[in-house]
Amino acid sequence: MLPDTDDAAVQADAYIDALLTGHRRSPAAVLADSATEGPLGHQAGVRDAIRLLEKSLPRFHPSFLFEEWLAEQLRRHAGRASEHEHSSGKIIPIAVMRRPTASGSRLPDKRLLVGSAIASGVSIAGAAMFAWRRSRN
Amino acid sequence: MLRRGKDRASVLVNFDVDRSAVEAARRDPRAFEALYRKYVAQVYNLALYELRNPHAAEDLTAQVFLRALDALPSFREQSEPPGSSFRVWLFQICRNALSNERRRVRRHPESPLELALDVQSTDDVAAEALQREQLDRAWQQISRLPTDRRQALVLRFVEEMSTREIGEVLGRSEGATRVLIHRALQAVARQIGRGSDAPRH
Repeated sequence: MLPDTDDAAVQADAYIDALLTGHRRSPAAVLADSATEGPLGHQAGVRDAIRLLEKSLPRFHPSFLFEEWLAEQLRRHAGRASEHEHSSGKIIPIAVMRRPTASGSRLPDKRLLVGSAIASGVSIAGAAMFAWRRSRN
Repeated sequence: MLRRGKDRASVLVNFDVDRSAVEAARRDPRAFEALYRKYVAQVYNLALYELRNPHAAEDLTAQVFLRALDALPSFREQSEPPGSSFRVWLFQICRNALSNERRRVRRHPESPLELALDVQSTDDVAAEALQREQLDRAWQQISRLPTDRRQALVLRFVEEMSTREIGEVLGRSEGATRVLIHRALQAVARQIGRGSDAPRH
């Protein structure tokens, strides 16, 4: 017979705690500890799910590049916040620089590219017009 | 938070693990970096599990810490130690940012988190294949869980938060959170082919 939902949840929670705490101390100790299986005897499926998730869900770490970039942003932000606090007593959020891509390069700003292309086009057209007028004279 | 009127022992026990770092950051925002270094991977993990895209997870992580730094003067310890109410507060910011991100994108991410399906290599090829298959099915089930249940499982197993802390992040009581996690586990159990009510062999 299945235990009451609350009881079952408490048992499962205790089992998770035992696994997480045990792994920090000694991974082998918990897996070999059959005593922890006792309370979850009626819930073999839940116990297996707990073991699977506890063992298999990986922990990720952001890239070193990103972590350092964000640390720099926070330092700048904190520096500005400090200055503002001292000068006006008010913190004003500042714009954040673009973060680096995985390859280390910074993402190009599309508006800058389009603006540069227009400026180049105008310059070339101006030069062509100048050359054409000179050739007519 | 120090409790006036409580005895000395209870004051010593009820100590938020991040209090000194938080107070230092309040005095000088540049000291916030210690808290950032401590929790950046945890915030990134939840973001990655939810968004399943490393770049989106990085963007969200940056948002969370910049918001936290801005809002630090208004942060007040709320949870019952032991633990860190700062961590709970940080994950509340993260959850809000995730909600905003979902509203912005207007769709649930569909790309699978392939990295999450990497299982540890063992000498037993058959066992490894079985574990990979089980994890694949479990992950599929986790992905389909309602947001609260999925986040609760990630916070419990990946971040190793206590049920009480998870409850504070999710805005639920400890008991309700325990039942929430249990139901999520039952769903995963069904998915990996062994219902919670299956007889034990």
